[in-house]
Amino acid sequence: MLIAGLALWAGQAFAQPSKPPYSVDGLYNLANSYARSGKPGLAVLSYERAALLAPDDPDINANLAYVRASAHVSVKPRNRFVRLAEAASPTSAAWLGVLGIALVGIGLVARWVAPRFLWIPGGGILLGVALIALTASNAMLLWPRMREAVVLIDQTPARVSPASMGDTAFVLREAESVTMTAEHEEFILIRTDGGLSGWVARSNLGAVVPQVAGER
Amino acid sequence: MITILGVLAPAEHAMAQANDALAYETVEPSRIKLGESATLRVTSFGHLKDVALPSVPGLVFEKMGRSQGLEFANGTAIPASFVLIRITPQFAGVFSIPGLTPTSPATELEVVNGDEPNAYTGRSQRPAQLPVASTSLPKGVQLQAGGAAFLHLAAPARAIYVGESVPVEIELGLRPGIVTSVNGLPTLNGSDFTLSNLSKQPARREQAFEGSIFVVLTWHSTLAAVKPGDYSLSAETPIAVKIGALSEADRAFASILTRPFLQIMYSGIAPKDITIGSSLSELKVLPLPTEGQPRNFSGAVGDFQVLSDIFPATVMAGDPLTLRLHIRGVGNFDRVDSTMFDHLDHWKTYPAKSSFTPSDAVGYRGEKVFEQPLIAARAGEQLIPGLEFNYFNPGTRRYERAQTAPIKVMIAASLASGSLNALSGGQSPIGAPTTGSTEGLRPDHPRPQNSVSDLRPLYFRVPFLGIPTTLALILAGSWFAMRPSAARATSKATERVLARLDAAARAGDSSSFFEIARKTLLQTFAARWQMPADQITFAELKARLGIMGEDVDRLFALADEAMYSDYQPGDTDFQRWLRLIRGQLSGDGE
Repeated sequence: MLIAGLALWAGQAFAQPSKPPYSVDGLYNLANSYARSGKPGLAVLSYERAALLAPDDPDINANLAYVRASAHVSVKPRNRFVRLAEAASPTSAAWLGVLGIALVGIGLVARWVAPRFLWIPGGGILLGVALIALTASNAMLLWPRMREAVVLIDQTPARVSPASMGDTAFVLREAESVTMTAEHEEFILIRTDGGLSGWVARSNLGAVVPQVAGER
Repeated sequence: MITILGVLAPAEHAMAQANDALAYETVEPSRIKLGESATLRVTSFGHLKDVALPSVPGLVFEKMGRSQGLEFANGTAIPASFVLIRITPQFAGVFSIPGLTPTSPATELEVVNGDEPNAYTGRSQRPAQLPVASTSLPKGVQLQAGGAAFLHLAAPARAIYVGESVPVEIELGLRPGIVTSVNGLPTLNGSDFTLSNLSKQPARREQAFEGSIFVVLTWHSTLAAVKPGDYSLSAETPIAVKIGALSEADRAFASILTRPFLQIMYSGIAPKDITIGSSLSELKVLPLPTEGQPRNFSGAVGDFQVLSDIFPATVMAGDPLTLRLHIRGVGNFDRVDSTMFDHLDHWKTYPAKSSFTPSDAVGYRGEKVFEQPLIAARAGEQLIPGLEFNYFNPGTRRYERAQTAPIKVMIAASLASGSLNALSGGQSPIGAPTTGSTEGLRPDHPRPQNSVSDLRPLYFRVPFLGIPTTLALILAGSWFAMRPSAARATSKATERVLARLDAAARAGDSSSFFEIARKTLLQTFAARWQMPADQITFAELKARLGIMGEDVDRLFALADEAMYSDYQPGDTDFQRWLRLIRGQLSGDGE
C-alpha cells in the first residue's frame, strides 16, 4: 500500500507537464526584475511565491521587506514561534511529518518486540511526535497563505458589491496583501489586515497560490 | 319670459303631437337631490292636445295633468296651455331632456347626491354658468355607446420612417352621468407600433360637442413604427356605461310607481362594460434608406447634437475617471445607443451605463447621457479620442454624423511607482524597464535548477496525503498484530521453562531438572485449578489427570529422590519426563 501511495503521488507530481514550473531562484529573480521595473505588486507576488518554497531564504525576505517598504505597505511582524515553525520549508516539513509518523508507529510496535529496551522506542515516539507537531504547525501557519493575494494595481477600488459600477468602499494600495474569502464571477471578496472587506476585480489581484483549474 | 338655454342631446324622444308653432318647456327646480322630483311644464301658446312622454335614461316621467292659463310676456297676458309632467331621477347626473314639441328646445335637469349643497337653493344664488361653446366633433370621430362617448386618435398625416418617433394625441370624450368609469388606458390596435407609456393622469377639460357637455381626457404620447408598410391605425379603450335594459312597456310601468325606491328598483338601469374604438387613421411607414447608411449606424432616428466631457479632470495612474457622452435633441431615444469605447490603448475600459432626461412630458425631446469609467494604465498626458454618433434625420431624409472633440487628460504618477523609480535612480515612466540593479535590492540568484509544478505545500495535496495515511494504517495494523496477549505471554514462559529443563537434562542435573519441573507443574496446576499449590495431593492429581496423574506424582517423588539421594535418570528418562511436562504445560495432558 505504501508503494501504491508513492506511485500515486509520483504520478500526480509528474502528470501536469503543461503547468509552468516554479523554482525558488526563478521566482526570486523574476521578482527582482519586477521591482526594478517599478512594478511592486508583481514583485511582491513573486517574492511571496518564492518564500512559500523557501521561507527562510534571507535574500527573499530582505527584498520582500524592501519592496514593501518602498511601496509604503506595512506587514505584520512574525513572532518567534512563527519564525521557528516556518524555518523548515513546506516540503521538508511534509517529509518530516511522514518520518514522525513512522517513528511513532515503529516505536509503539517495538515496545512489544523488545520490552527490555523501552527507552529506545520511547525516544523514537517522542521524536516522532515532535516531528508531527512541527509539520502540523508549519501547515497551520501556511494554511491562511493559501488564500492570500497581492494587489497588482495601485488605488484598486474595493467595492461594496461585486459589480464594476458598485460604490467604492475603500481603496487598496499596490503590493498590499489581502485575504480572499469568497468570489462571484469576476470579483473576489477580500479582507485586509485591518479587517475591512470589499469586492475587488479578479484582474487586479494576484493569488499567491494559483488555484488549480478544476478547483474553481 | 323665463327661458332656459339647453344643450341639444341626441337622446331618444317622441315627437309631440301638438301642432302649435310656439312652445317651450321649463323644469322646476332645475337642480334636485336624488330621491326628490322635479316638474317639467310644457307651455304652449296655442292649442296643445297632448305630448308624448320623453325617454331619457335615468329619468322617469309621469303626467300630472294639463291646464289653461295666461302667460305674461312684456306686460301682455297671452293665453297658454300647460302640461305638467313629474320627473323622478334614478341616479345622480346631468340630464338633457329633449324638447317635447317641434319648436321647444331641450331642457336640463341636474340631480345631485344627498351630501352636496342644498338642492333647493334658488338658481339665483348659484353662480352663473358661463355658456359653453358647442363645437362639432373632429372630423372622422363618431359618438359611441348611445352618444355617451367618443375616442379620437390624432396621428400624423405624413409618412414616417421606421424607428421615427412622432407625437400623437388620444382624446377620450365622456358624457358624465352616463359613462360611469374608464376601465383602462387607451391602447393601439396592432403590434407594428410602439406607444410610449400613457400617463394615468391625463389632461382633463370640459367641452360641448353638438350641444352636449363632454369631459374630454387627453393623452399625449409618441408613436414609433417597427417595420415599413401601409397601416390603418386605431385606438380603443374600455369604459363602463349605464344602459337601460327595459322594454317600452316596462318603462311605462315603472313610471307609474309612486315610490322612488320602487322606481329605482324597477328602473332596469345597469352599468355595462364596453370597449369603444377610434376611427381608422391611414399611416405610411417608410424603410430607412440603405444608401449612405454608415457602417456603425445603431438605428437612431431624430435630430441630435452630441457633447462629451470627463470627470474628474486630473487623476493618478490607476484612478478611475468617467467619460460622459451627452446626446441631446428630438427623436426616438430608445434607439439611441452608444457602446462608447470597447478598447482603448493604455486605458482599462468598463461597460457604459446610460440615463435619459426628457424635456417634455412624452420624452420626444430630451438628453441621453452615456457614462463609461476608464482607468489610465500609465502616467503622462493622455488623449481620449472623440466619439462618433450616427443617426438618420427624418427632416433632411439623410444620415448625419455627430462627433465629439478629443479630450486631453493629465495622468499623474502613482505613489508606489514613484518611490521605486526614485530608488532606481531613473525617471522612466511606469512599465519601462530600467537597467542596473536597484539600490537596496539584493542581487539575483544563479541559474535556477529545481522546480515544482505546484506552489501548494505537499501536505495540502491529496495525492501526497496517501503516503502518511498508508504508513499509519500499516503501523496500526502491525501494532494490533504485535500486541501482547495472555496466551502469547504464557507460551513464552513455557518456552523459557522448557529451555531450562532441557538445559538441565543435557547437563545431567537431575535435581535441578526435577525441581524445576515440580515447581512449574505445581504453579501450572494451581493456576489452572484455582487452588493453592500446597493443597495439590496425589488424590487431586489422580482425580483430575487420571492415569497421567500417577506419572506426575511419580515425577514429584523423583524430585525428592534427586534432591536427597542423587538420583540420576538416563537420557531417555529425561526425554520422557520432558514430554510429560510439555504436555501438561500446554494443557494436552488433561
